[in-house]
Amino acid sequence: MSRRFDIQYVFEFIPKLLAYLNITLLIVGSSIVLGLLIGLIVALPRLYNTPVLKRLSQLYVSFFRGTPILIQLFLVYYGLPEVLGWIHIDVSRLAVLYFVIATYALNSGAFISEMIRASVAAVNRGQIEAAHSIGMSSYQTFTRVIAPQALGISIPLFGNLVIGNLKDTSLAFTLGVMEMTGRSQTLGTATQHFIETYIALSLIYFVISFGLEKGFQWMERYVNRFDGHRSEKTLRASWRRPLRAAPLLGKGGKSG
Amino acid sequence: MNLDPSFIWTAGLSLLQALPETLWITFVSVAAGLVIGTAVALCRMYHIPVLSQLSAGYVAFVRGTPMLMHLLLIYFGLPVLIDGISSAMGWSFTSASIPLIGFVWIAFSITAGAYMSEVVRAGIQAVDKGQVEAAQSIGMTTIQTLRRIILPQALSVSLPNLSNSVIGMLHGSTLAYTISVVEINAQAQIVAADNWKYFEAYIAAAILFWVLTILIERISGWLEYRLNAYQRGGAL
Repeated sequence: MSRRFDIQYVFEFIPKLLAYLNITLLIVGSSIVLGLLIGLIVALPRLYNTPVLKRLSQLYVSFFRGTPILIQLFLVYYGLPEVLGWIHIDVSRLAVLYFVIATYALNSGAFISEMIRASVAAVNRGQIEAAHSIGMSSYQTFTRVIAPQALGISIPLFGNLVIGNLKDTSLAFTLGVMEMTGRSQTLGTATQHFIETYIALSLIYFVISFGLEKGFQWMERYVNRFDGHRSEKTLRASWRRPLRAAPLLGKGGKSG
Repeated sequence: MNLDPSFIWTAGLSLLQALPETLWITFVSVAAGLVIGTAVALCRMYHIPVLSQLSAGYVAFVRGTPMLMHLLLIYFGLPVLIDGISSAMGWSFTSASIPLIGFVWIAFSITAGAYMSEVVRAGIQAVDKGQVEAAQSIGMTTIQTLRRIILPQALSVSLPNLSNSVIGMLHGSTLAYTISVVEINAQAQIVAADNWKYFEAYIAAAILFWVLTILIERISGWLEYRLNAYQRGGAL
């Protein structure tokens, strides 16, 4: 099926794949930024218990968490031009990359909205009552008491989301986007050294996820530095970090 | 191009043909993943010399790379390995006799094993340490303590995580189409390409996965309620 295994190719392929790292990171970066925006908008109706909008946001989150990202990719790619066509917006000539970013943004948005909701809910209720009792307004309570603590709680969840998103970008090649995995396919086909390409690619993904994980751990410690209890806990063995499939935010084996 | 709602139904019916394949992939990878995951978690929790380092490396690698990589590495790497060994040993067995779905099972079991090990570990750690001490003080061996005291309680604690992993593997099974196994996603592409109705076919596939996911969540919720019966006190 393919030629003899030669470790030399692994080292040769790494720089070739890294040339496409910027596309992968572009997809991750832009979809996470857009996802944060979408997530916040989607989380608000549920935080404030707005009647009809709350149901809609539940439906949105349930759909994007309940279907595989691969299906979502195809759905957006084939469906978005059609749906936007009904309101006379023509996007059929847009580059595939934008559809991919849109899908990942919509998908991350659902997970991020759950993250925001869970983090806000995790802030001790007594803190909010205390803030109100010393005369803070709702807005003050949110910005001064809830948000800073929710941020500390959400960082490990957010880190897992970003790493999951990175791993999911490997699926963008199915629509023909030339990111690292797409490049690995062409490299493999051209040289018939598939195993070496995928080893090289796995190493790259591994190093990036590892770096991201360490970065988020550092950030978590930094944000929680005034919270002795929590910062101490994160100092302990790193593999204890909950799965991406933490109870509230499951995506499980995370297709990724 | 207009949306053809009736084709969503037609496509959905034809997707049902591929449903068993998807369920098989999910079931086998979850079952094998649980076995691997339990072994790996126990190796790490009891600090068994070489095995615990190996397990740590395995979990870190699998969790740091996309599931697609595991599938492709197994698909391209395993035949080379098997054929190499069997020609060296003079066996007649070759990788050609492994069905495609076999590669999917192996690859996804490896993926699931690493994620499950985290689920199992979290579950075991959630069991009160006093329970273990109590079991040992009445003379139970380590195996007995594990089997009679720790695992039953760990199971009920880890059910939410477990159901998330099952959902993750269900969603991950869509990747099998990359090596031409006809599961729901591949079937959707076939139906779509035959009729040139991509949007409708993927709507049907999305609905099918959505229903399956909600079903898994419901079942797990019900099981959790049943398994935690002993904690509610009083009659069931």
